Amino acid sequence: MTPAAIAADSGRATDGAAATADRAVQARGLVKRYPGGVTAVDGIDLDIAPDTLFALLGPNGAGKTTTVSILTTLTPPTEGSATVAGCDVVGDPGAVRSRIGVTFQETVLDDDLTGRQALDFHGRLYGVARAERRRRISELLELVELEEAADRRVKTYSGGMKRRLELARGLVTRPQVLFLDEPTLGVDPQNRVAIIDHVLQLRREQGLTVILTTHYLDEAERAADRVAIIDRGRIVVEDTSAALIAAMGADTLYVRGSGDVAAFRASLAGLDWVQKSATSGDDGLVQLGVDSGDRRLVEVIRRAADAGFDVAEVSVAKPTLGDVFLRHTGRRLRDR
Amino acid sequence: MSATLTLWNKYMSKLVVHPEETVGMLIQPVLWVVLFGVGMKSLLGAAMPVAGDVYVTFMLPGIVALSVLGGAVGGGSVWLQERLSGVVKEYVAAPVPRVGILLGNALAVVTKSLIQGIVIVVVGVLIGAQLDTDAVGWLLAVLLTVGFAIGFSGIALAAASRIDDMGGYHSVIMLLNLPLLFLSNALYPLDTLPRWMEIGARLNPTSYFVDGVRQTVLQGGEAMAGSEVIGLGWCCLGVATFAAFGLAVAALAFRASLRRA
Repeated sequence: MTPAAIAADSGRATDGAAATADRAVQARGLVKRYPGGVTAVDGIDLDIAPDTLFALLGPNGAGKTTTVSILTTLTPPTEGSATVAGCDVVGDPGAVRSRIGVTFQETVLDDDLTGRQALDFHGRLYGVARAERRRRISELLELVELEEAADRRVKTYSGGMKRRLELARGLVTRPQVLFLDEPTLGVDPQNRVAIIDHVLQLRREQGLTVILTTHYLDEAERAADRVAIIDRGRIVVEDTSAALIAAMGADTLYVRGSGDVAAFRASLAGLDWVQKSATSGDDGLVQLGVDSGDRRLVEVIRRAADAGFDVAEVSVAKPTLGDVFLRHTGRRLRDR
Repeated sequence: MSATLTLWNKYMSKLVVHPEETVGMLIQPVLWVVLFGVGMKSLLGAAMPVAGDVYVTFMLPGIVALSVLGGAVGGGSVWLQERLSGVVKEYVAAPVPRVGILLGNALAVVTKSLIQGIVIVVVGVLIGAQLDTDAVGWLLAVLLTVGFAIGFSGIALAAASRIDDMGGYHSVIMLLNLPLLFLSNALYPLDTLPRWMEIGARLNPTSYFVDGVRQTVLQGGEAMAGSEVIGLGWCCLGVATFAAFGLAVAALAFRASLRRA
């Protein structure tokens, strides 16, 4: 179904379409100061287009959760303004809440309920009609692969199952914007991948704007259309993941082989797109810093052959978002 | 409104998940009525034969009040638990009015209090309490219980919104429980009290609730020889005001707790 058809199906057709025509999320100058002098968010601007998967990447304490709290109307900004799905977070919080889904950093499930009851409770709280609720719940249980466990109490679920249930819960109301605050935090690797896969699958099936906060680089790289790096309450840089990495300007080519290493290196010496070259050890490994590994690979192999160096294997190492983070903030982004 | 019902439904469904809670809810009032009622009946009955039954009738609403107080403390405890575990976040993120959320918790307390009230009246009659009532009387008594329960739920919810640990909450709320029962006309008539206690009792919403139930449901509300009774109109007004006050305090404390978050 196309996004427009989905919106019509859920009965919020014209309202939703008009409201999100421009931006799913827009923020200007958001600031959040707590009594005691802590500034969690220090001037954040955002322009997120509909149907984007937008990642907010940064270490703990960077202000990711606070930013999400402001955008989901859980806490008011000290300064600045924001609209989500076309509605003002300060002026019209009820309208924002009815258009969004949220999963929080910590698990907020009632242990006494079954998975199905938890989803049903959520739907009822948001005023979703019974028939629609039932249909939606069984679709979502299937999506997150919790059908068999649906009628067991949440208390019996593993951490990964709880997170998947919470993902389903955020989607019960067919939100226009879904906020996922560190959805895979503390989850085992298998479930981490599954959760992100469910999100990506959902986006393929229907239009949905997803705002994802994370400190996991691989998640941001794999899943996000756009990435904003956030540090100390500010957005340091924002672009597509590919653009951010390309902007780093330097790949590393590892060339391993046998033959005339010196001649090979000499043939590369004066070229302007080779930034450095080095040999490691005497196992015939040449390490080259180039502007673009993809583009220069063929030429490097050709020059090696011309210089009498037999290439056995070549690999290209691209910078990661971790390198991007380091470049922009001067620090390494540590996984917890 | 649908939010209130949804929450009420969730809280009530927990009685099924935790049967020990249901059993406790039913047995507790029975124990109070029987142990305290039979004891006092024997004590007073030794002096004058009729006095025992008269006192059982007299003190029965006080036991209902005690149940309500206990229920309200429990409701507040559930609220604090949900705040600490983060479950309240789900409520807060939803497009529902804040008061509606609180009312869901309060109405669960009201429901349990009403069930306990029925048990108390039944057991009370079995050990000698005298009823004197009609349908209107019952209705008024129910409304008084609803109002009283909402009022104390509100106070307990306010405490549970302002205090951030379970031990602290229980320390504060314990101040409310038995002392509020003793500083009222639940166990002894107003005019037998020394002046300072009488003043406290007149400021205590429990007194209004208790005298209201006496007059609507039980025989001889004035039965304890010449004791003064608070007029039914004042009782209803007092309880209704208290209910509004409780909710207002709870709403303010809840909003303040959200700003702190």
